[in-house]
Amino acid sequence: MSTIELRKVTKRFGSFTAVKDVDLSVAAGEVVCLLGPSGCGKTTTLRVIAGLERVTDGEVVIAGKVMNNLPPEKRDIAMVFQFYALYPSASVGENIAFPLYHDGISGAERTARVNRVAAILHLEHVLDRLPNQISEGEKQRAAMARAIVRDPNCFLFDEPLSRLDVELRQTMRGQIKEVLQGLSKATVIVTHDQLEALTMANRIAIMKDGLIEQVGSPHEVFAKPANAFVASFIGTPQMNLLEADLKTFADGTADMTVAGTSLAIRTDAAVARLQPGKVTIGVRPRAFTPTDTGDRGTISARAELIEPMGAETLIHARTAAGADIRVVVTRSQRVKVGEALNLRPDPRQTHVFDGAGKAVRS
Amino acid sequence: MTAVTSTLLTPRLTTVVAHNWKLAIAVAVVVSAISMAGLPAAVSFWVVGAAAALVAAAFTVNAYRRHYFGALLVAPAIAVLFVMNIFPLLWSLGLSFFAYQANQQTIRFVGLGNYVRILTNDLAAHATWGALINTAMFVVFTVSAQMIVGFLLAILFAKQFPLRKYLLILVLTPMMLSVVASGVFFTYYYDPTFGILSYVINSISGNQFILMSNKVGAVAGIVFADAWMWSPFVMLLVLAGLVSVPKYLYEAAAIDRISRWRQFWMITFPYIRGLLMLALLFRTIEAFKLADLVILLTKGGNDTLTISYHLIRIANEQNKTSEGAAISYLMLFMVIVLTNLYLYLANRRTKGA
Amino acid sequence: MAESILGKLGFRRASGVDEAGWGRTLAVAVVAFIYFLPVLFIIFTAFKPQGDALLVPPTLSPTSLFGLIPDHFVFKPTLENFGSVFSRSMTPDGAPEATGFDRYFFNSIFIASASVLLALVIGTLAAFGFSRYPLKGNDTYLFIILTTRMLPAIVVIIPVILMFRVVGLSGSYLGIIMLYTAFNLAFTIWMMKSFFDELSPDVEDAARIDGSSGMRVFFKICLPQVIAGLAATFVFGLILTWNEFLFALLLSGPDTRTVPVAMNQAVSSGGRGTDWTLLAAIETLFLVPVFLVTFFLQNHLLRGVTFGTVKR
Repeated sequence: MSTIELRKVTKRFGSFTAVKDVDLSVAAGEVVCLLGPSGCGKTTTLRVIAGLERVTDGEVVIAGKVMNNLPPEKRDIAMVFQFYALYPSASVGENIAFPLYHDGISGAERTARVNRVAAILHLEHVLDRLPNQISEGEKQRAAMARAIVRDPNCFLFDEPLSRLDVELRQTMRGQIKEVLQGLSKATVIVTHDQLEALTMANRIAIMKDGLIEQVGSPHEVFAKPANAFVASFIGTPQMNLLEADLKTFADGTADMTVAGTSLAIRTDAAVARLQPGKVTIGVRPRAFTPTDTGDRGTISARAELIEPMGAETLIHARTAAGADIRVVVTRSQRVKVGEALNLRPDPRQTHVFDGAGKAVRS
Repeated sequence: MTAVTSTLLTPRLTTVVAHNWKLAIAVAVVVSAISMAGLPAAVSFWVVGAAAALVAAAFTVNAYRRHYFGALLVAPAIAVLFVMNIFPLLWSLGLSFFAYQANQQTIRFVGLGNYVRILTNDLAAHATWGALINTAMFVVFTVSAQMIVGFLLAILFAKQFPLRKYLLILVLTPMMLSVVASGVFFTYYYDPTFGILSYVINSISGNQFILMSNKVGAVAGIVFADAWMWSPFVMLLVLAGLVSVPKYLYEAAAIDRISRWRQFWMITFPYIRGLLMLALLFRTIEAFKLADLVILLTKGGNDTLTISYHLIRIANEQNKTSEGAAISYLMLFMVIVLTNLYLYLANRRTKGA
Repeated sequence: MAESILGKLGFRRASGVDEAGWGRTLAVAVVAFIYFLPVLFIIFTAFKPQGDALLVPPTLSPTSLFGLIPDHFVFKPTLENFGSVFSRSMTPDGAPEATGFDRYFFNSIFIASASVLLALVIGTLAAFGFSRYPLKGNDTYLFIILTTRMLPAIVVIIPVILMFRVVGLSGSYLGIIMLYTAFNLAFTIWMMKSFFDELSPDVEDAARIDGSSGMRVFFKICLPQVIAGLAATFVFGLILTWNEFLFALLLSGPDTRTVPVAMNQAVSSGGRGTDWTLLAAIETLFLVPVFLVTFFLQNHLLRGVTFGTVKR
């Protein structure tokens, strides 16, 4: 059974703690993405699973066996490196075949498997070339082919698409997802690109400074972020986070001062638990409805910059107190620079984060 | 990236412009001939030198005008090498066709006489051929030893470990010794009465050990000292290659469960092959010139005379300057043939791979 | 738990594929020490009292290392030999006179560094030219440059002596520096060219498009990337030039004499046989500058730079 489990894994480099107390489990056939900004510890976590780094504390369990003291050779895993790590002096076909030598398969069987995998990833025509003679996309597929030609315990991907251009990324995202679905192995993908995570993963683990901030399905992390960091990391354009002073809460409406303006905004009922004080309001750009007249339930702002994005338009606006607000409207709603906007946040999509940044939600 | 603008034509011979190198050559030749015929040697030397400088200046201006950057960059090096190396070499080559002895004043033209003599005359040829065979033997032994020991040392130092910097410099020190000092001390180490080698063997077998008593021992002693001194050179070059292999290739190989042996041939070797070749090339060329250690350790006794030492004897001690020049050109010819062969093979392999 | 304690003490288990722990240090230390022994013996001999140099059994160590080494292998260290380097009596009962070695050391340092640096500058420029602006006969030119190293000094010596005498460069600094520069050029050009060949042209092309002139590209972009090559070439050149004997013997005058020549003179004259302790002292002192330079340049030497073997 192909599973991965991390139990309270900690990794320290001297006095620097790269990974703190990480708990994660990946089921067979599940794709989990480790997502986060650079330096958050996601690559270190992946390398710990691979055995390229030794854990300082905690347990790494693969396929039910504790693998802490086993070197990578003995863990029976497959990994696709960020720089592909294709052996420069061997042809693409030979590169793909190398992992099979260990299994003692006959030459004919090896060739058959290589061809099969090459067909899946459309590499038949480059099998005889050297790695420095093929394109980036082909290199990426070759690295993948080398990984899937085996029958390992699990798959590990380190920033697989980071070196591809935008168009290629789109194609490869779909291809990778397709290939992984057919294989039913536990898979961990490390990426800093949220779009990759959202499209390829069954679950996403968002990391910051060595800690996992939230683990959940793409929908969960998008619609129910656990804290302000996750909220601002997921979603493009970025969620608007506004500092506010909570006064009272009654009847589903929170009375607060947002950037100097007194507002009464509808929020989740759990806000009742909060003491009056500093909070952060999070509203995604598409969660605003511009209305004609302003009232205590709307935020007023002046449009400063209009960015047409095709079917939608991104408006950069600024409140009277100087806070930046990003709003996305359909292109039929024409807005001019300098125009005054009254923005009503959708109560179901208004997030409240307490003073420590944690989401307040029922 | 030589930018040759077709609009700049070579000026005709008679145009007096700064970059007209054809004119410069013509003037130089005429002036040199006149001065060598008519003026005393010291003065004509300077005149010829000035003429050469004129030609060089014309070339330089020409190169500058035509943006021959390559030529400009390379020119100073070529100039120094020409004056300091090539000119003396050509002079020696010319000398090898005469019968000249440094302590006499007579010069006789003998054409290929010297070459014929050293290769076929009983006395001279015997010494020449003997020395050549010895040299070949030394080259093979000492270069092989250096490559093997240097390679093994490089493998030892390839990974980062505590105190690596300090241990590395210890191993590099033999290269820094003056040949005089190390040669003299090695005679001491090899000495049957006082030397450490004999002392150790004495404690085991009860007899003094005279290393230099026969040719095998003498050759072994020389090869050992030479290899000991120069293996660090090979080590440094190979080490530079070893540390340049990207770490992630080894990580991928570990995950792919590729055996250590195969990892070496597939990943490491391609990175160090070029450097091994470079080391082999330079050490072989230097090994052909082996003479100092032979002089210091055996003075050529026990049939350890190398061609270079033979040369020194002939040219210096016996003052047969022309004959010495002939021998050295013979040697040069052989080294050139060998090196060409080697480079041809090396290039073929890299292109084929 | 034990691992974390050991880790704090520095005994961290190797965590990467290119790291090794103290086990390797021990193994390498044994090998390095054995390799270094002949040199160590020379250094020790420098500290031995004059009569002690040639003794049976050989005296191996200044200390008995806590009784590990039996007494008859131990000698009493002294500094008198180092003093003798600079001032000693030339005749059996004469008073000590200055030997001029301070001047010889200066000469060696000056001549070696000047010629190696000059070769580095001229050679690197030429290597850049060969690499970036290849001419039709490139390989031929490079091979001819290589051939300048192939002949032993003895062949070139006579015309060079004559040449120097005519021009008046005999015994001068300029003459011998120019000669040594020429010696180092072959190796410098070949080494630096292979480093330049390895650089990827993308960055340079970008800079050219931005308007930088050829020279600017060379200094700001290419040169910083080949620091490892410059360091290696400098160290090699220094080592080769430092110990050069034959040309120094025949071309340097009393003012410009280098240490190897003076060493040979000081040691083999006097008819008393080899003065071991004096030779050892001179050599030990002579080692110091090269040793220091190599030590400090080590980091640059070991920076990973491929040598034009495999294209990434």
